[in-house]
Amino acid sequence: MKIAVCAKQIPDPAIAVTYENGTIVRPDEQVLDDTDRYGIEVALQLKEKFDAEVTVISMGKLGTQKGIQQALQMGADKALVIEDESLKNSNSLMTSNVLSEIAKLAQADIVIFGTESSDGYSGVVPQQVSRYLDLPCISYVKGIEINDEILLTRQTITGSEKVVMPSQCVISVTASGVEPRYPNFKDIMAAKSKVVEQVNISSINFTAKQNQEFIEIKSISNDKSGEKHVDEGEAFNLIIEKLKEIKAI
Amino acid sequence: MKSLIIGEASNGTISSGTLELISKVTQEGLDFKLVTVGSDENPKIGSDTFKNTYMKLNQNELSLASVADEISKIITSESIDLVLASSTYVGRDIAGFVSVDLNASPVSNVVNFKIDGDKLSTTNSIDGGESDYLTNVTSEVKVLLIRPKSFEASVIELNDNYETVSIEKNNLSVAVQDIFIEEKTGPQLEDSKIVISAGRGMVDVENLKFIEELANKLNAAIGGTRAIVDAGWMPYSQQVGQTGKTVKPDVYIACGISGATQHQVGMKDSKFIIAINKDEEAPIFQIADLGVVGDTLSIIPKLIDSL
Ligand SMILES: Cc1cc2nc3c(=O)[nH]c(=O)nc-3n(C[C@H](O)[C@H](O)[C@H](O)COP(=O)(O)OP(=O)(O)OC[C@H]3O[C@@H](n4cnc5c(N)ncnc54)[C@H](O)[C@@H]3O)c2cc1C
Ligand SMILES: Nc1ncnc2c1ncn2[C@@H]1O[C@H](COP(=O)(O)O)[C@@H](O)[C@H]1O
Repeated sequence: MKIAVCAKQIPDPAIAVTYENGTIVRPDEQVLDDTDRYGIEVALQLKEKFDAEVTVISMGKLGTQKGIQQALQMGADKALVIEDESLKNSNSLMTSNVLSEIAKLAQADIVIFGTESSDGYSGVVPQQVSRYLDLPCISYVKGIEINDEILLTRQTITGSEKVVMPSQCVISVTASGVEPRYPNFKDIMAAKSKVVEQVNISSINFTAKQNQEFIEIKSISNDKSGEKHVDEGEAFNLIIEKLKEIKAI
Repeated sequence: MKSLIIGEASNGTISSGTLELISKVTQEGLDFKLVTVGSDENPKIGSDTFKNTYMKLNQNELSLASVADEISKIITSESIDLVLASSTYVGRDIAGFVSVDLNASPVSNVVNFKIDGDKLSTTNSIDGGESDYLTNVTSEVKVLLIRPKSFEASVIELNDNYETVSIEKNNLSVAVQDIFIEEKTGPQLEDSKIVISAGRGMVDVENLKFIEELANKLNAAIGGTRAIVDAGWMPYSQQVGQTGKTVKPDVYIACGISGATQHQVGMKDSKFIIAINKDEEAPIFQIADLGVVGDTLSIIPKLIDSL
């Protein structure tokens, strides 16, 4: 079994995102998107059971590759990465077109994703990749049980449902359900010698195009500066008065 | 601009997200066709004023890829220019599939759009709702994923006037083994006038009993942050925020919630926001109409006793 897990490097989420002409400014040092840790965890659980090979696939500015290293430290075997000027500010279709082609290079049977990235959150890349690869798409997976067959639990609007994982498919994993592992010192050292291979854009078949012209960014002022009171034991009364005043009760 | 709405049937009728899209399209004076996806038997989703095709799924199969095949065919054969879907699980899956067929990237997180002749511009919510990102969409077919609650829902009279297509499984379908429906009691998050949400500042899952009691007294729906959903205190269906539900009640009471942008995006448009948090600097206070700096575990029980 060969597994590809798509993971993105993003600017440190603790620092506010900045833009230049509508494109996110990406520092040299980017980190692994937390969202992707869940997908990586699912990949690693499969690897442990089936001795699968796990390849991390990532597109975007490489920089110091901190985020790629973080993915390898968790236990993935190697990484296939791509960076190209023409892919800057890619829309979701361009991203999924590229990721699909690289998943083919990795000869992946199973391609695993997060449900939405923290910086772009277009939330459609896994679905698009499944379409490009003509594979079944099992989206919003929140649990995995590995026995004789592999059962995936999907989140639905009304609850959840279980499906048997096909031998070839695309999966997107939501936060919760699995607990992403933390690498120990040995894992961190081991990651350093893992192969990170760069894919050249000329070696893949790429047809998706940009389809949004940037106009401007407007920041929304949320600041309402309503009343604020420190509770000295009676603040519950303020809440009740307010609820009455606005006729909520 | 000829448009197609990818709608959803839920609880025997048209979902609120779909009604929001119908209202916007009607307001823009666009000619539209509706395709409604669902697994209910004979839902009331028809109308005499627009055409609706019901794509009926078998709930024991995941087969939205087949639905996408049908929709892509309609888009091409009827020369549709604009495709709209709500940014829900089903909407995202179908829009994602269809976008590949059309070679037209969907525009995600759209909160508004404007049409001027054959030009379309969108307002997209970015940075967890802190900014609006304005663009012109240039692909021939334009696919938009609209965030729920961006438009007021239409009130329309629905009947049985629609056509049904039964979706057959294909090589991409996956069999569903087991379906679990979360029991929902009390008012629903999306349409309740009062929502009470809990965050990690409720300290322990046990303390959610206070939230329940308060909700009972106020006839309110209960929501929560992703932090407590991830911790298993509450089912995902109650998560409010970027990756959860968007709510716009008359009153939103945030109990022990820090107010991360990803949470705010799901509730900041509530009419009146009350926040209880022991940290005076918590970002939730920036959007609260009434902020109370204090301990949830001391304030909420008193509130319950006095109501
Ligand atoms: C891609 C992405 C998507 C996300 N989507 C969502 C989403 O949909 N919804 C969502 O909610 N979050 C989402 N998040 C997570 C979000 O960033 C926050 O981590 C989360 O909202 C924090 O939840 P919280 O407020 O319960 O916890 P915390 O941030 O830990 O805040 C707890 C608060 O409780 C206060 N407190 C503690 N004890 C008490 C007490 N006794 N009395 C009063 N106050 C107390 C503290 O002062 C603190 O402000 C997302 C994150 C990412 C990266
Ligand atoms: N540039 C990228 N490189 C690798 N994976 C990506 C990239 N962009 C998106 N993904 C994957 O697609 C998922 C959904 O991202 P998005 O559709 O951008 O919200 C992420 O969780 C990743 O698994």
